[in-house]
Parts: sequence; structure tokens; C-alpha cells
Amino acid sequence: MLMEERALPIVIVGHVDHGKSTLIGRLLYDTGCLPPDKFSEIQHSSETLGRNLEFAFVMDCFEEERSRGITIDTTQTFFKTPKRRYVIIDAPGHKEFLKNMITGSSQAEAALLIIDAFEGIRDQTRRHAYILGMLGFKQVCVLLNKIDLVHYSQDKFLSLKGEVIDFLNQLNVHPTFILPISAIHGDNVAKPSEKISWFDGPTVLQALDTFEPLKIEEKPLRFPIQDIYTIDGKKTIVGRIEAGELKKGQSVYLLPEKKKVEVKEIKKFLEKDVSIAHFEESIGIRLKGRHRVKRGQILTADLSSWISDQIKANIFWLDPTGYRVGEALLFRCVTQEVPCRIDKINRKFDPASMELTEEDASSIKGAEVADVLLQLDEKVAVDPFNEIPEMGRFVLEKEGRPAAGGIIL
Amino acid sequence: MKLFKRKTKKALIIGIDGVPYSLLNTYLQKDVMPNLKEILSQGLTLHQTNASIPDISSVSWTSFNTGVNPGEHGIFGFTDLRPQSYSLYFPNSKDVKAPTFWEILAKTNERTSTLFQKYQHKMSHPYRSIVLNVPHTYPALPMNGILVSGFVAIDLKKATFPESAYAYLQSIDYLIDVEAEKAKEDKAAFMKSLFECFDIRKKAISHFFGEESWDLFFACITETDRLHHFFFDASNDDKNPYHESFIRFYIELDKFIKYLYEQFLEISSDKGFLMILSDHGFAPVQKEVYINKFLEEKGFLLLKSEGNFYERIENETRAFNLDPCRIYIHSKEAFPGGTVKKEERAALLEELKMSLRGLRGDNGDEVIDQIYEKEEIYHGPHTHLAPDLICLPKEGYDLKGSLEKKQIFGDNIFKGMHTWGDAFCILPETIRFSKKPSVENLTEYILQYYS
Amino acid sequence: MDHLTRLENKSIYIIREAYYQFKDIAMLWSVGKDSTTLLWLCRKAFFGHIPFPIIHIDTSYKFPEMYQFRDARAKEWHLNLLIGRNEEKLKEGMGPGSGSKLDCCNELKTNALKMVIKKYHLKAILLGIRRDEHGIRAKERYFSPRDSQFKWDYENQPAELWDQYQSTVEEEEHFRIHPILHFTEFDIWNYVKREGLPVVPLYFSKNGKRFRSIGCLPCCSPIDSEAQTIDEIVEEIRISKTSERSGRAQDKENIYTMQKLRALGYM
Repeated sequence: MLMEERALPIVIVGHVDHGKSTLIGRLLYDTGCLPPDKFSEIQHSSETLGRNLEFAFVMDCFEEERSRGITIDTTQTFFKTPKRRYVIIDAPGHKEFLKNMITGSSQAEAALLIIDAFEGIRDQTRRHAYILGMLGFKQVCVLLNKIDLVHYSQDKFLSLKGEVIDFLNQLNVHPTFILPISAIHGDNVAKPSEKISWFDGPTVLQALDTFEPLKIEEKPLRFPIQDIYTIDGKKTIVGRIEAGELKKGQSVYLLPEKKKVEVKEIKKFLEKDVSIAHFEESIGIRLKGRHRVKRGQILTADLSSWISDQIKANIFWLDPTGYRVGEALLFRCVTQEVPCRIDKINRKFDPASMELTEEDASSIKGAEVADVLLQLDEKVAVDPFNEIPEMGRFVLEKEGRPAAGGIIL
Repeated sequence: MKLFKRKTKKALIIGIDGVPYSLLNTYLQKDVMPNLKEILSQGLTLHQTNASIPDISSVSWTSFNTGVNPGEHGIFGFTDLRPQSYSLYFPNSKDVKAPTFWEILAKTNERTSTLFQKYQHKMSHPYRSIVLNVPHTYPALPMNGILVSGFVAIDLKKATFPESAYAYLQSIDYLIDVEAEKAKEDKAAFMKSLFECFDIRKKAISHFFGEESWDLFFACITETDRLHHFFFDASNDDKNPYHESFIRFYIELDKFIKYLYEQFLEISSDKGFLMILSDHGFAPVQKEVYINKFLEEKGFLLLKSEGNFYERIENETRAFNLDPCRIYIHSKEAFPGGTVKKEERAALLEELKMSLRGLRGDNGDEVIDQIYEKEEIYHGPHTHLAPDLICLPKEGYDLKGSLEKKQIFGDNIFKGMHTWGDAFCILPETIRFSKKPSVENLTEYILQYYS
Repeated sequence: MDHLTRLENKSIYIIREAYYQFKDIAMLWSVGKDSTTLLWLCRKAFFGHIPFPIIHIDTSYKFPEMYQFRDARAKEWHLNLLIGRNEEKLKEGMGPGSGSKLDCCNELKTNALKMVIKKYHLKAILLGIRRDEHGIRAKERYFSPRDSQFKWDYENQPAELWDQYQSTVEEEEHFRIHPILHFTEFDIWNYVKREGLPVVPLYFSKNGKRFRSIGCLPCCSPIDSEAQTIDEIVEEIRISKTSERSGRAQDKENIYTMQKLRALGYM
């Protein structure tokens, strides 16, 4: 089987017009990762508007292709450095902002927050930064773009940098780098710029290369039981490996009971004597001995998961009808499904109005994000989202419909 | 001694896209536009006019530019189908079958028209024109003077003739149009960009007006149309958050008209010809109406699930619609998969009309105001390419040609829709009309002035 | 993990999730390449023992090759094959030649399916649609509820977050489940090739023509093609995609024109 090195997924967020599309175009262009047809388009478009290279057009092209069904998603927007490949996850669109932001950003392992050096922090900067904080991003790089518009001024950069750090720290976002760039001119994106010779930090690409991908395939095994089939008279447990790998003969824990069991056999259709199964594979297994197993239990290589009926989490409320404390919900994380309710809302934020409620609230409106305490009817096993994403994110259903997404930090 | 004494005839034509007669009247009364009011007291009259049918910019401006109706100039919309196919294309300046008035004035036209035939011998010498930002003039065709195309121009280089003008436009970061897509993301920022775009437009217009030589100067302001599409609800509602900006836009417009007018008086020594006009009106939109969905539900239209746009039409389809409401009979003669026979056409037209008249909104009110067969409104050699039926809606119902809607009625972000009967023109008071003029009737007065 | 394996594993997860949520489930098999791929994935998901029926909606107007292929696979793969036919309308002589094609499709396909759903009290159906088939499909979800009239209320669809799919079904509702939504046409052919899947021979070129999609004989027309093997089909699609993508200047201009018109509410 051909193994592809997994690209590091990054998300690029920031206020509209602060240069997201231009940066993406520039990254692809300077790393030689524009498809040849896109390259000639860019040259053409630059003439079109009678301006410098109009990189934003690259994203327009992808957008158009997507709406025509040519490219399904922007996971095809790759670029590479000598160190590794990167994939740009869809930046949040204007429609269904919150949903796009969390579905997009939650797949990313690093974030670039772009801020116009001339305009400074704006509404959407705040919204996006708040959500980066709620998603627990650890690998964040802030780009103060359009440094050309402030005449490559170091003073301007330093004063804005100070402001940005104060602002982000309040939101529990601690950027690894804050870089001056000009995406349109290519200053300090792929190569250092003489115009900002006063700056001795890395370029955007150098900064990205210091980030580490989440090596989920190397984490301890997480195998949530999806269903139990009887195949040729034998009990076969099916599921998907959400972290690590599973070997024939391996001794594993059955959570939440913490019972030790041994994997007797790994089953894949038309494959004989399977000795190992990897992350992301949907497989079947048989256990040695007789055990009571059911959907929702999780086989793990170790006991590092949290097992509890109380969970502190950040949630993103998508359902327009909102929530009042005490209402019944269903917690769904991998194949675990347990009734629950929100016991306490510690803090909530409305990205639309930018209103922050710090003390106890009793309700959550549609499109708000909140820091809450969940009380579940039974114990579940979860992991921090930043360690094993599938085990650290969940959906809350209200009356049978998905109402919110949640992240455990 | 000068060998040739140039006549000093000067004409200034200001196009203001999508400005309704009624709104202009209101703003004149409310003193939003004091300068225009003053100008109107100096021998000029404001008239209400009809747009072309359909009432969209590409058709209406082409009707004005050529002075003939769509049956003669061949442009029926922003989109059209290639003959004997389902392939959608965007007609451009090269598809216009009649000469523009600046070509007639310059005697450089390769095409002919009834208007040209009438005036070809009446002009003493060729006149030089500057034509800026007029819709449906892309790509820029060679002409005597300077032309910068307006909507839907894509490539600025191809939108500019001659190339020397391109260098200037580049130097000022000229914008062909606002990016209307931005309105979806951030309306306030979009409003701001309308003003910015208007500024750059004024800059370019003033430059060519003052720095170049011309006999006729024709410039269009198109930001008004964009303003109306997204903010028309703010036009007369002082509680609307964008009302103040909306009014401010008209105040700026009023100032710019004054500026051009005063410059023009100076250049033309008071003997010039001035015309200000719009190509269609605007009204608040209540609902979008997806005519193809209606035709589908009524069994006239049958679509495959695969294919692009009109390639999805099944052979059994009897009629389909192109934006905004241009209904084509799927006839055996005109389409490769057409199944409607010649002898069935008349009955089908009646059936369609009956159905369309029965189309009702939520309150049971009528949606369709007028239905025309092509022969009723178009005449000329290209009438056979026209849609078979053309509808005009009741105010508030914006007819659309989308093929992908699941409901007949829908909402969108737009606050304004085009109207047919409420365009305007301002002309010398010596020009009188016995009945309400259409936009293509106005062109002749320009040629008269030069003959 | 390579691209096709990733697609495959995602599909298997969805198929198993669907079967867990709905025991009254069946798979719709048109005998075409997409639903045959789905059928193969179902076999993988259940280790060769698919625990639900496979429905073929038979309009009686399919190509002879399709019936042959269907019966051969059903036997070879031990399928519980159910044939859905609108016998009443067929007796009345309904067919593509008898009146409007829309009525024909409606009666022999849609209504025949409605009848099967009712007869077997099905709460969910697995379908082999792909997101790249058509623009409107971009809005499809993996689990998509339909009312009894088969209406799809796509504007009110709940979000499908993180592989958690809505599964509560209201009275009169059923679910359509799309496990291969994320495959493209190109992926399908590559997967068919990799897995050595059998396909109806109509897909291969004969006398310079082949079928890109197959259905009822009177209503299908072949495309010009010289592709006689799966490799040649893959190559043909790759080239056509490239030319589709390699924005000839005019195409590009058309795309921008379209964008600009759309932004103002046209098209």
C-alpha cells in the first residue's frame, strides 16, 4: 500500500479584506505549488485588473470549481516546504459562519491569524480569535499583513504587536510568532525582506515549519466499538481505529470498565491473517474468551483517557432554538451515546454581537459559544481534543437533531 | 489660417444606471439634489421613460447605444443560448448586430441599421467620442476616440481602446466595478467600497473630460445600480441604518453632475447638447420568482439531473426560461432536442400565458403584469432569435431564470429590483414627446443635433 | 493511508453506522458503476454477508446487458435481491414511447421505489450518489431525511458534524444515506480498477461509442469514446478533467462573468 505522508492541516482566519485570499495565493505561488493552469490564470488576472499579481483570484477559482463540483473541497489546496506538505483547510465563509469556522478550524492543527497592519484588530479578528481560543489552538502564528501600507515601520509593528498580544492573551490564545508581512508583495512570506531588515524573526514558512503535526497514528490505540456482528457464527466487533494501531494478539483495555481483553483476530474482507490495522481503518476484530461487549465501549492501549460522568467543555451552539439549563440532551462522542444536560454555563460569547457573558448564564442562544459543565447519565471515556481529536469532540443532540458541537480541552 | 474649421458642436451624455424617475423626483423635492434642480431650471426637462424589454442593463444600454430595438441589435439578455444548441454564452459587444451612435458619428461602422441608414448622409464630418463605463461595450472595439468598457468587463486591457488610455487607467488603479460579492460578507464595507469606486470613476471621467479632445462625451455611473440592488430599502426610510449613506451617495452624485455641467457649459460655450438618462428604474423587491421552477411544476419543463445549465433540458421539455423572464418554446426548428412542432406553437403559447397569468403570490396577488409575444415588441432581422414570450412582473416580484431552485418563490439578499416603466431622461426642453419614450427613442436626438 | 483506502474506510464506517441506526434498511442498486461500487463496499462492511435486501427498481426498459449483469452478480454474491416494478402501470403499457417521459420516470422509477419502501416498511435506503455529479449535490448530506413525498428540504438540514449523523426518523419520513458521496467519478473508476470490480460492458467502447452512465435503453445515449478498458476510461476522464480545469482564456473569462452576474442575482 502506498503510504502518503500526512500533510499538516492549517487554517487561515482573519477579518474580511485583511488578506486571507492573497496570502493563500502567495503561499501557493512562492512555493511553486500552483497548478500550471492556475499559474497562467494568475498572470492573466494580474493584467486584468491592471495591478500587481492578484492572488486572491486563485481562491476565487477554487471557489468557482467547488460550486461547479470540480473540486469537492479545498483539501486539495496544498503547498510544500522542503520540510513537509501543508493543506489549507477551508477558511470560514460568511454563510453559516460558526459552523464553517468550527468544522473547518477543528480539522486544523495550526492556525494563521491575519491582521491588517493598517486597520488593526477588527470585529472578525475578534470573533475568529475567540473561537481559536475556544478550540484550544496551541500552534498559532499571527501575521501583521500589509506592512507596506504602514511604510514597513518597525514602530507601527511593535505597537500593534503589543496590542495583539494583550488582546489574544485575554482569549487564552498564545501565539508562537507575530510576523510582519506583505502578502501582496511577498515580503517575509517565503523569503525575508530587506524592507524590514529590522525584523530578525522567521518568515511565514519558517514559522510553519517549527509547528508539529499531531501524529495520531502514533498515539495509543483508541478503537470505539461501532457494532457487533455475527459472521459465520462468530461474534465480530466492528469499528474504526481513531488513534494508534491495533495488532493481532495485543492486550487492550475495554473502557469505561477498564477490563483487560486480548485481540484474537483482525478481520478485513477477503484478507487472510491480518496482523495489524492502522489509524482510520474500519475493521472487524474477535476477542479471546467470552466478553459482554456493546457499542459505545472503547478498546484502548492504555488508561490515559478520562473516564467521567462530568465533562467540562467548550460548546458551539448551532441550533437556532437555543438551550435553557436543565433541558435534556444526548451526548455523542465517537460511538458513545449518553443522555446528558448542561449543568452550568461558566461563560458565553455571541460572535455576532461580540457580547461576552462572564458570570453564570441560564441559557444559550443559537450561534453562541460557551464554556460549560456537562452532567452525563453514565460515564464516558474521552481524551483532550488536542491529543486525539475524535475522542475529544462531541455533538449534542436536542430532540433528535444535532444542536451543538463541543470540544474537550 | 485654419484649413478646416471644426464645428464646435459638443454633446455630453451622462448615464446613471438604474436610477428611477420617481426617486429622482422625490429627491428633487426633498432637496437632496439641489444642483440638479438648478440645472433643470436652465432649459432642461425631466421625463419618465421606458426601459427596454427585458429591463436589464445590457439590453437597455445596447438599445440606447444603437438606437434600435432588440429585434434589430440582437441582444436580449446577459446570457443567451448559441443557435441550435443548449450551450449558454455571454453576448458581448461583438454580438451587437447594429452600429452604436458613436460609430455612426465617426462613420466607422461596419454594421448597419435603420438609424444609420437614416443619418449616414447627414453628418458633415466624422466626430470623435469618448465613451466611458457604458455597460455591454466589452471588449472595447476600435473606434474614433477612447472607449473604456463597463459591466461586464473582465480584463481591463481588453476593455480599453486605445492602449494609451490603458496606461493611464493602470496608473490610477482604476476599477471596472465594485465587487458585488462582497456585499454578502459585509454590507457596511460594501457601502464603503461603493463610494470608493465612485471616487475612482469620477477621477477617470474628469481626467478624460478635461485632458482629451472630443466632440461627444458619454460616461456612465454604474454604482447607483449596485447601491439599489443591495440598499434600495434605504432610499426613503430614514430608520434604515443605510439611509444616511444612501442619501449621501445621491448628494455626491448631485455634486458631480454639477461639476460636469459647469465644465461642459464652459467647453461648449453654452451651445452644447446635454442628456442625462437611466436605463431602467428600481423598486423594492418582495420575492424572487423562479420561473423555471414554475414551468417545471406546470409540466412544461423537464430537467435531467446531470449537465450544465440548459444542457439539462430533456427532449420532452416544451418551454424554458432565461433570465429574467425570457421564455423559449422548445421547438423542433430551434433546438436539437426540441419536440414542439410548428403547428403546436400557437396553442402552447396560449397555454403558457394562461398558466403564467395564474401565477399568484402568497396573498393571492398576481405576479405577472404583462406578457408579450416576441412579434408584439420586437421588429427587425433578429427577431427570430428572440424569446417567444417575455413577461414583465408586478412590482415587488423579481423574475429569475435559475434552474436550480426547489421552490417557485424565494428570498435573497437583494433589496431592489429593476423596473421597466420608471427610467428617466433629462433633455433640452425643446424636445417634446407625444407619448412616453423608450430608451432607444432617445438616441436619435443625439444624431439630430449633429446633422 | 492512500486516497482510495481513505475513501473506502469512510464509506464502510457510514454503511455500518447506517445499519446500526436502521435495521429496516435496504440498498438501491441500479447496476451502474456507482451503485455497484457501493454494493462492493457493503460486502466489505459485512464481510461478504450483507444483512439487508438489495433493491433493483426495474422499469423493464433496461439494457439486456444490465439484466444479465444483475442476475450473475446476485448469484455470485448471494444477494437478497428484491425487484421493484410498477406492475400496474407496466400492464397499462406505460413506457418512454407511450407519453411523457417525465410520467414514465415518475411511475416506473419514483413510484415503484415508493411502493417498495411501503411494502417492506423501510426506514432507510443506501444510495450510490456522488457529490461531483451535479452542483446541487454539493449540499447533500451523508444522512438525508426525506418526507413521504420524497421531498428534500435542503435548506433546513441540520449540520453534519464530525461523523455524527442525524438518525431520528419522524413518522412518514425515511432516510437516504449516501456512503460514497465523497467519491468523484475519477475515484470510482480508479477504485473499480484497484478492486478488480466487474462492471456492465456497456461502459466500454464499441464502434467508437460508450456509455458514461447507464439506465433505461430508450433514454440513454452513448458518448464518443475509444476507451475499451478501465485504464483507458481512467485516462479519458483524467484528460477531460484536465481540459476542463486548464482554463482556456475564454472559459476563465466566462467564469468571472458568471461570478459577476451571479453577485447581482442573475443566473
